[in-house]
Amino acid sequence: MGHGHHKIEITQEQFTVPAKAKRFAIGLTVIGLILAGIGIATMDNGSSHGHSHEATTVVKHDHAATENHGEAAEAGKHVAETEHHGNVENPNFGPRAEFYTQTKPWATRIWSNILIVGYLLFMVSLAALFFVAVQYIANAGWSAAIKRVPEAISTFFPVGFAIAFIAILVAKNDLYHWVHYEHLHLTKGQPGFDAILDGKSWFLNSKMFLIFPVVLVAIWWLLGRKLRSLSVAEDSAQPGDVSFFKKSIRFSAGFSVIYGFTIAVVAWLWMMSIDAHWFSTIFGVYNFATAWVTALTIICLFVLYLKSQGYLKIVTDEHIHDLGKFMFAFSIFWTYIWLSQYLLIWYAHIPEEMSYYQIRFEEYKFNFLLNVVLNFLCPFLILMTRNSKRNPVVLTIVGCILIFGHYHDVWLMVVPGVFGPGQQIGLLEIGTLLTFGGVFIFWVLNALTKRGLIAVNHPYIEESAHHDVGV
Amino acid sequence: MIHDSLIRERLVTGGKTASDVTRDIARPILNKPSTAWKVGFTLSVIFLGIFVVSLFWTLWTGIGTWNINKSVMWGWDITNFVFWVGIGHAGTLISAILLLFRQKWRMSINRSAEAMTIFAVICAAMFPVFHMGRVWVGYWALPLPNAFGSLWVNFNSPLLWDVFAISTYFSVSLLFWYIGLIPDIATIRDKVKTKAAQYWYRFFSMGWTGSTRTWARYELISLILAGLSTPLVLSVHTIVSTDFATSVIPGWHTTIFPPYFVAGAIFSGFGMVATLLVVARKVMNYENYITIGHLEAMTKIIMLTGTLVGIAYLTEFFIAQYSGVEYEQYAFLNRASGPYWWAYWSMMFCNLVSPQVFWFKWARTTPWFIFIMSIVVNVGMWFERFVIIVTSLHRDYLPSSWVMYAGSLTEIGLFLGTFGIFFTCFFLFAKFLPVINMSEIKTILRNRE
Repeated sequence: MGHGHHKIEITQEQFTVPAKAKRFAIGLTVIGLILAGIGIATMDNGSSHGHSHEATTVVKHDHAATENHGEAAEAGKHVAETEHHGNVENPNFGPRAEFYTQTKPWATRIWSNILIVGYLLFMVSLAALFFVAVQYIANAGWSAAIKRVPEAISTFFPVGFAIAFIAILVAKNDLYHWVHYEHLHLTKGQPGFDAILDGKSWFLNSKMFLIFPVVLVAIWWLLGRKLRSLSVAEDSAQPGDVSFFKKSIRFSAGFSVIYGFTIAVVAWLWMMSIDAHWFSTIFGVYNFATAWVTALTIICLFVLYLKSQGYLKIVTDEHIHDLGKFMFAFSIFWTYIWLSQYLLIWYAHIPEEMSYYQIRFEEYKFNFLLNVVLNFLCPFLILMTRNSKRNPVVLTIVGCILIFGHYHDVWLMVVPGVFGPGQQIGLLEIGTLLTFGGVFIFWVLNALTKRGLIAVNHPYIEESAHHDVGV
Repeated sequence: MIHDSLIRERLVTGGKTASDVTRDIARPILNKPSTAWKVGFTLSVIFLGIFVVSLFWTLWTGIGTWNINKSVMWGWDITNFVFWVGIGHAGTLISAILLLFRQKWRMSINRSAEAMTIFAVICAAMFPVFHMGRVWVGYWALPLPNAFGSLWVNFNSPLLWDVFAISTYFSVSLLFWYIGLIPDIATIRDKVKTKAAQYWYRFFSMGWTGSTRTWARYELISLILAGLSTPLVLSVHTIVSTDFATSVIPGWHTTIFPPYFVAGAIFSGFGMVATLLVVARKVMNYENYITIGHLEAMTKIIMLTGTLVGIAYLTEFFIAQYSGVEYEQYAFLNRASGPYWWAYWSMMFCNLVSPQVFWFKWARTTPWFIFIMSIVVNVGMWFERFVIIVTSLHRDYLPSSWVMYAGSLTEIGLFLGTFGIFFTCFFLFAKFLPVINMSEIKTILRNRE
């Protein structure tokens, strides 16, 4: 007990990105691009549909898919489908086979990958901002020493958003079958009319789809910027001045409420609407759980990295242990939400809900099971002991598994709905992940240099420096 | 060891020393019961009497004394069941999850909250047990080898999962509560004067000596039980939610039910903890242990969980309209504008709107106001379960089966009667056991020394 009372020197630290780290981040991007390039070059274009035809239309298909294909031809395609599945009384529960085959597989695959990685990085960086806010509203002391790390990560969310947004702008016709359907302008009674999609047009329409998330991001960004500026202003304040801290609590509360009410909307618009006939009330929570556990993992990995470079002197094994506990606990939370959605849909076995899992369980069984292995069994079994949660090597390995696992989780949300059966994770997928992963790392490392690494005047910094888990 | 920031509020005020703690907290046990206690206990026993009479009438005449019918086959009974199980959750959250999150403010309130959990689960169990009708064969709900031919429980049924979840929950909560009590019972053992009291407190203190070895074991087992209780508390209300959500009834079958039920349970549980403790701290003079800071923390959790539940209400409503399934759409429109609109809007007001008042510091720090709000919260949570159960059932797929439902006198009597069970137990607990964990509180006194 006595040792705890000695004074711990709390000094400001200034991070500079080591050349090695820069090379690593750039290297990841370069390797990613090469892998993606090989992936594209060796891609099995898969269908008997003419490659040349697709190559000529890809440039403009965003603006004028219907014109390219011709409305009559489109409508004609839907006749067979309508007869096959029935019509208003018996709405079809998934996208039509025509939707899968009329796309340009190679281009759509590239854009879907960009959407997946962009969306993941956007959600994760935003969750890092939520982490900062939660520390304030929960009055947490232990995390004061590491708070500059999630602050730096959170600067990336507009970038992640932009990556996903570009993919959506360019390829929404091929990624979202309801966008494709919207352009057909079908009315009741016409062949191919889809009552379910038509009934959703008040929410699923291009205006809502593009404008609403942008508005939300603008609000989140303003609040995030305010929180970060309060945090950095505190560094040069008089010691004992808690006004910045108190203001931060207010803005954190405001951000958390807005985030809580709105994050699901982005998940509905951009992810759930890929399977536009399908719906699940827990979907927003599920997307949050994925983003949250990944954000905790990435925070932990950056803290470990800074520590290994001799920074964050007041951060000890105790803080690392707590981050490890979070990775462990929220992996279980993710599994809980995953199970809630899957179990209830499996149990009730209602056709309009089953479609989502039917394709994922029957056509993507390996991925379906891999999802649980990577995101539940690995962290659960490996991080169960105390020692593993205090071991940087173990945490790094599990962290990489979790990042890939949750990338894979988003992949499994997107790909079956866009392509139907038959896709797998190949060089293109890995390459895209590495490319943007490199960009992300470079960006966050750079953001870390913009201010001191230690929140030296945070009211809880002493508490955090003396943090002791006990057991 | 402890470097609490100067801006943190003290958890125990009034400059209490360790011996003050023992004296203050053992006082109600060592002294004769106060008038307030006698009045409260008498009232509780009267309500317990209402329970006994209503139960007698139910058993003597049959379940026909309840107004449940072919469409609304669950009514007040299951509403009350979910209501009481939910209330129990705060105890486990405080004792287990807040322990894992190192929230030291839990130390003043965990004992009474855990006691509340146990009593609430007893109240909850009454309803499904007596709804069985032939309660004397209630043990058929367990998968026992039996002589009834092929009679066997249905492992696919969430109702059976409930049997397992709630009985496990009850056992672990009881164990957790009791283990935590042992050092305090030993303290009382050394203070009581009568032979009988000495005998019983010695019996229940299990030979506690206070040696380092026993403390080490005590702390270890507390941590293990906290680890076990954490998934358990989530699982219990998750399984209660699956009683509804595995069905195909519109308004019941929705995937957000598990986390939403858990949030609602914590919300109502903290409502009940606030109801009890705002009164107890005043009557028993514990304002230095259960401080305004404690009340403020509880109101923040009430506001948080109330808002989470509100997000779930809005999500359900939105997705129902989005789904394109006309039955879902109708179920939710019927809740808001059908014959039970008053129940729906009571729920919305009490659970989502009213807790927002806790954004204001005055509301968070004014005990009488918190007391009123805690009642509002529990009224709202009762209505939530009533809305879920009755509005989804009273309009069947078959319009000829559409009925209205209101509880009979017997059903109302049973519900009021469970408050008798609950408060009778609580008053006995407050008389015979220390309502605040003395040994834990003593560890945080030295913070500022």
